[in-house]
Amino acid sequence: MRVVSEKTQSAAAEKIAKSLSKMDGVKASVDERTNGTQNRYIVTVDVDVENWRATAESLRNDHEVDYCSMITGIHWPESEEKTWEIIYHFLRTGVTDPAIEEGVVVPNIVDFSKVKGKNVPLELQISIILGETRTPSVASVQDIWVGADWNEKETWDLVGIVFEGHKGMRRVLNPHESPAGFHPLQKQHKLRYHDYEEMYDDAQGFKRKPTDVGKVK
Amino acid sequence: MGPQHPMTHGLWTLKIKVDGETVVDTEPELGYIHRGVEKICESRDFTQITTYCDRLCYASANTWSHAYIYAAEDLLGVEVPERAEYIRLIAVELQRLASHLMWLGAYGPDIGNLSAMVWCLREREMMMDLLQELGGSRMHYNFPRIGGVKRDLPTGFALRARHKVKLFLNRMQEYEALFDESTIFLIRSQGVGYTKAAEMVNAGVSGPNIRAAGVNYDIRSAHPYSVYSEFDWEPAVERSSIKGADCYDRYRIRMEEMRNSANLVLQALDKIPGGAETYHEPGDPKILAKSPSRAPEGTSGSHHFEDSRGESMFYIAGGGDGRGKKPYRVSIRSPMFITIPYAAKTMIGYKVADIPAIMGSFDPCIGETDR
Amino acid sequence: MASTDWLDINSWVTSLAGFSMDTVHDLLPFYQSEFASVQPMLETLISTSIMCTVIFGLMMNTLLALTWIERKFIGRLMDRFGATTSLRSLWVGESGVTAGDWWNQLPLGIGAPIGWLNGILNSIAGNDHKLETISRVNNRGYHGIWFLLPGLFQNVADFVKFVSKEHIVPEKADKFVFEIAPVIILATTIMVFAFIPFGPHIWAANPELSLLFMMAIFGIAPLGVFFAGWSSNNKYTLIGGMRSAAQLTAYEIPLLITVLGVAVLSGSFNIIEIVDFQIQQSDTWNIFLLPLGGALFLITMIAEVERIPFDMPEAEAELVEGWWTEYGGMRWGLMFAAEYMRSYAACLLFALFFLGGWQFPFEDTLASLPTIGGAIATILSLVPGVVWLIAKAYILFAGFVWVRASLHRVRTDQILEFGWRYLLPLSIVNLGVAIYLRLEVWTGESWPIWTAPALSLIALALFIIYAIDEDKDALAYSRRPYNIQASDKAYPGRHKE
Repeated sequence: MRVVSEKTQSAAAEKIAKSLSKMDGVKASVDERTNGTQNRYIVTVDVDVENWRATAESLRNDHEVDYCSMITGIHWPESEEKTWEIIYHFLRTGVTDPAIEEGVVVPNIVDFSKVKGKNVPLELQISIILGETRTPSVASVQDIWVGADWNEKETWDLVGIVFEGHKGMRRVLNPHESPAGFHPLQKQHKLRYHDYEEMYDDAQGFKRKPTDVGKVK
Repeated sequence: MGPQHPMTHGLWTLKIKVDGETVVDTEPELGYIHRGVEKICESRDFTQITTYCDRLCYASANTWSHAYIYAAEDLLGVEVPERAEYIRLIAVELQRLASHLMWLGAYGPDIGNLSAMVWCLREREMMMDLLQELGGSRMHYNFPRIGGVKRDLPTGFALRARHKVKLFLNRMQEYEALFDESTIFLIRSQGVGYTKAAEMVNAGVSGPNIRAAGVNYDIRSAHPYSVYSEFDWEPAVERSSIKGADCYDRYRIRMEEMRNSANLVLQALDKIPGGAETYHEPGDPKILAKSPSRAPEGTSGSHHFEDSRGESMFYIAGGGDGRGKKPYRVSIRSPMFITIPYAAKTMIGYKVADIPAIMGSFDPCIGETDR
Repeated sequence: MASTDWLDINSWVTSLAGFSMDTVHDLLPFYQSEFASVQPMLETLISTSIMCTVIFGLMMNTLLALTWIERKFIGRLMDRFGATTSLRSLWVGESGVTAGDWWNQLPLGIGAPIGWLNGILNSIAGNDHKLETISRVNNRGYHGIWFLLPGLFQNVADFVKFVSKEHIVPEKADKFVFEIAPVIILATTIMVFAFIPFGPHIWAANPELSLLFMMAIFGIAPLGVFFAGWSSNNKYTLIGGMRSAAQLTAYEIPLLITVLGVAVLSGSFNIIEIVDFQIQQSDTWNIFLLPLGGALFLITMIAEVERIPFDMPEAEAELVEGWWTEYGGMRWGLMFAAEYMRSYAACLLFALFFLGGWQFPFEDTLASLPTIGGAIATILSLVPGVVWLIAKAYILFAGFVWVRASLHRVRTDQILEFGWRYLLPLSIVNLGVAIYLRLEVWTGESWPIWTAPALSLIALALFIIYAIDEDKDALAYSRRPYNIQASDKAYPGRHKE
């Protein structure tokens, strides 16, 4: 089976890392991970939050990173260097629409052992660190990658990271009526509440219904 | 439509705005079975999390637990013995086969053909018998371990697996005859739900849905993992129609993927190091490597995995409770969470009667969507 | 002379009514002449009521077998067996391994006779141990007679279940229309059977234009369906009701034109006369003379009774049962039965219009055979015609079931397109053929000897040409070449090679 060779991938990863490091506020490096028959080379990038939008546009336009895989938000209340971390995972797939010849589609069969240049598939991991703040916010990349749309909604819903410029932000996994400011994956929330008293005394402020006063689960 | 609705293959609502019979706008509402798996995983050991990951997408349990295990091994830095990789591949491909059969068994009745459900479930029973021998239960196997697999191929497994997979490959032609030879199926599924490859990739769709559009992008060949590179196979690609991949292409690609998975299983049984008939006790270093149980703070692991429905991914940040015995954050990427909103947009412009055809052809599974 | 057989229920009932009214007349102490003037009307009233009851009972009882056919046949087609297998597994288990010899667990050894019974049952109707263990789930093998008999009481169980359920009316539904819709559907469906003759002398009503009357009543049901869909205050049922109204209306017209063709060919609008025409005058069944009409009738009837492939209005994939979602309990049960009644009526009508009704195939030819002809004729005359009619209806219904199990559901706009653009012109062609045959070919006494074979052969030839002549390129284009990494094309039966 024709797979991408390690050499091509590591070379492409180095190239991107070098050109990204030239931008302001961006520090890129290549991380080597082992798996199965060959190693993987991930481009790990640390971006400052002000430069994120420019970096994203450069990724899309200059390096043809076309697939937004996942956006993760992490809350580090105990850590010294960071309080919020947003991690983006991207893939460069090298996928283009297949050509049409004489009214029939010619499937785009890529020989992965022979890919070159901007078509080499790559994994990227971008990490943005924020300090102590009540409203962590990051520029939204909804218009650059459509796949980032629902990922951003989910990250805001669960972790509380605000994405500036995101149109149509709403709760996706939590119920629509969840109280504003309730983001379950933040570390001050417990996994399980034993009774209503505990839940309603939560600092994030659930409002107790008058009929439920004194009730125990 | 929803949340209780026979078409939706799960618990979600699709709000549609119609003009007569034509769909004008759609909006999906997910989150009905949001179980908070990501939060739960923060208070579980690495080994305990595997059981949760089976239940993410219950129709395709093995692929999800393996996706997690690869990410955990990336985090903990574990080297997996080769025999274990082959056994994992057999489990994952059998599960992919069973998942696609389940999809076809649900897609047939969506279009109206009730016999397809019974026939496909009958074949799926064969695959589930095999997976039961491997993993111990019919749906949630908890099969892989960090560093290897739970147990080796049981005695006689190779014989039964070969027989059942070959029987399936023969019977597959019955299903194709039922669908492909039926004009009604062709007029229902062709020309419906056009999608183009580059647009899909930008929207985060992957897996069989984009391979139906004429590109052969597959995580197993683009970002190779496990021992897929050792086998003689190519990912299935479908020659789509000019306007894009329609439901018929998405149906055909899954039939070809079933053939691919079956062939991979047969090849793996032949090529497995040590032979398919040798049996190692659970815990033997040939099938399970020793692994550390703590991940200190500052480490992280991630892995992209080709799930039956697309590209799934786990990102695990180490350094949780118990001085790193538990992860600090587990983040799960579900292909269907991103595909369902995209599929909902695909439906605009078609008739209400096309909604089950389009939605079913994307193969939604709500367990992984809502986590 | 009209065809006849010994099961002359009509005349028995009429004579019974006449006898009873005469007795009443004779026993009346006064007002005898007034009673005599009322007596004919009373007699017809009584005899018609009794005939209606007889027909209703006959129809309902023979309807039970229809659901049984559907269930068993679909089970066979889908390779799935029902409660019978699970019952049987109590003594057979899987491939000879019984379910744990459960009778030995009973206290005081009272299970011993069960074990003995188990042994006997196994030897009579046990499993064939040579079957593959691997395909145990799909045990296509021979189960013996036990897969055939039980299952006859399923309908009774269904009836009891439906009757015991609560009747729920949605809060904002239009109550009057909601209640009246099932009444309309059921009433018109059952009224259709009043005009269907089950035998030469088993009918409830026989007006001169019974065909027209019956088709008119058959066509009122779409109105009831639309009422049901609209009044439930539910978006889905509304869509289902609209689709149903459009579909049923679209298929009424080819249906009526086809039936008109049959009536033209047979020279009468009375169903009994149509059957008599086939039996006595033309000596051929209409299907050989109007094969296109037969096919059209079948297709339009499948659309009229809303079975797959035309069951979009109740498509459970989108509409969760469609226009009858909101009905519970017996109202739903009766409407569900109405669907089967309409299928039954469709099969009976096809048998009456095209298959010669209550005549055994080749009855006259068989009766005229040299030596055994007389014996055959005697035996056949012992069997009442109603048996043949119902047998033909059952076989046709099995065909309906076969179609249901294998085909997909056609989308509504495609159904409508098919009805208006393909079936309507074909039905007009059929009408033209019928008119030509009746006017030009019919000699007033019989058909020329070449008529029926010629027409059937032409139709058969056209069908075969249509079926096998495939534009390979267009087909390949529409099926789209498979995975370019070469896999074999599928065709039915391939797996046997």
